Amino acid sequence: MFIAFYRASKFAVQNFWRNVWLSLMTVSILLLTLLSINVLLVLNVVTDRAITYVEQRVDVSVYFYETVTEDQLTSVVSYLRTLTQVKDVQVVTAQEALARFQTQHEGDEEILQSLNEYGGNPFGSTLVVQAYHVDDFDFIISALDHPDYEEWIREKDFSNYQDIINSIEASTDRVRWFGYGLSGLFLLITALIVFNTVRMGIFIHREEIGIMRLVGASSWFIRSPFLLEAILYSFLATVLAGALLYPILLQVEPKVDAYFGSVTGLTVYFIQNGLWIFGGQFLLLALLNMIATTFAMRRYLKI
Amino acid sequence: MIRCKNISKIYHPDIVALKNVSLHIQPGEFVSIVGQSGTGKTTLAKLLFAEERPTKGVIEIGGWDISKIPNRDIPVLRRQIGVVFQDFKLLPKKTVGENVAFALEVSGERPKRIAEVVPQVLRIVGLGDRAHRYPHQLSGGEQQRVVIARALVHRPKIFVADEPTGNLDTLNTREIIDLLLRINEFGTTVVLVTHNREVVNALKKRVITIDHGEVVSDVEEGRYRI
Repeated sequence: MFIAFYRASKFAVQNFWRNVWLSLMTVSILLLTLLSINVLLVLNVVTDRAITYVEQRVDVSVYFYETVTEDQLTSVVSYLRTLTQVKDVQVVTAQEALARFQTQHEGDEEILQSLNEYGGNPFGSTLVVQAYHVDDFDFIISALDHPDYEEWIREKDFSNYQDIINSIEASTDRVRWFGYGLSGLFLLITALIVFNTVRMGIFIHREEIGIMRLVGASSWFIRSPFLLEAILYSFLATVLAGALLYPILLQVEPKVDAYFGSVTGLTVYFIQNGLWIFGGQFLLLALLNMIATTFAMRRYLKI
Repeated sequence: MIRCKNISKIYHPDIVALKNVSLHIQPGEFVSIVGQSGTGKTTLAKLLFAEERPTKGVIEIGGWDISKIPNRDIPVLRRQIGVVFQDFKLLPKKTVGENVAFALEVSGERPKRIAEVVPQVLRIVGLGDRAHRYPHQLSGGEQQRVVIARALVHRPKIFVADEPTGNLDTLNTREIIDLLLRINEFGTTVVLVTHNREVVNALKKRVITIDHGEVVSDVEEGRYRI
């Protein structure tokens, strides 16, 4: 069995070298397919990281009227902390809000003068509420519509963040669908190219195949070099895709990080999950190529 | 050894290659199948190693009915039947030794066994000193002997030679026929398909004559009579 496998592998490698240009063209198309799939994967990772980044910073600011006392504020905080959806509640007192405003507009004489003309502290206390998940904010906001508290609350601010997330999702969804389409097209082209390569291989080796049949080679032995060749194409394309993707990621990652203002960890993600990512891609490609090879053999290899 | 019962072969749509052919070849026999071109000789040879299947009738090889042989069993049959054709069917990029070894390699034979068998059969066919030459460096007769060596590596019980001397001159023809006779002396059943009158007449062996797809004569020590 081992000897037969070794010889079938040897014939597969011979087939590869005897039609080296055809083989290289096939591997190139497989490589393009894998690169398009990996670009899609990078996009997914970046989108996920971007959304997580935004979600981690999403909070609801609950603005209270200046008249609300510290005890009343504490009761709202206690109530919010009983909610399982709430991760954290930060209290910004009226004095702190005033101080922050003054710091923010330090150089703006006009605003500071207006503040002085007002004569007191125009700010009420504010609660900054963080949730475990962005979907929980609707519940938290509706919980704040509690009859005991709604008279104290001037405003609840959340909508902007949802817009940002929606905008990220909408734009990446468009690119993602384009990526799916492109990858699907490449996969189809890949299958056709492999089909044609096997067809050419069968034609070129027709004499050898005829002799194999004549001297008693099993149909498995005659077919297996073509299947192994398909696996070889997939393996080479996967290795090349990994080898090309790594330096590209090293170049792209700082720019993506700078854009999002955070560490996306793209390269680390691909290194940590490389075995699954490239192993999976190799298996997918090998399976597709073996199916295309089987069809080509059924059509052109008469045993 | 070989038994054909009422076999017919009809190619689509209605070309009759063989019609109700019945014959029985004993183990160790040397049989010439003769006839003019297009009479069905090669079709009969192809039926013997399951390259073709009969439309009707039964073919038994050593008691094994191969008329409806499943594809998976064909390699097993072919390792028991050595086949030689007029066109040599050698791989031009392989040496003589590699061409002969190829038959064993594709059958999953161990390298040690291949290293033993290949020089043996090359010596039998008189090419012991040509193992490293390429087919284009050999004469037509030598090339045909390589093909015979390749067919012998499985130690077949039956040897089917379809016009093995068709491309050879008189001297090489004589050498190939002598080689087939030697193979027959070892106990192998030889079926020689030919339309070479001199060869058949010189052999003085059993001759089966086919005409228009039918056996018209079967003579124990026959001559070419068409």
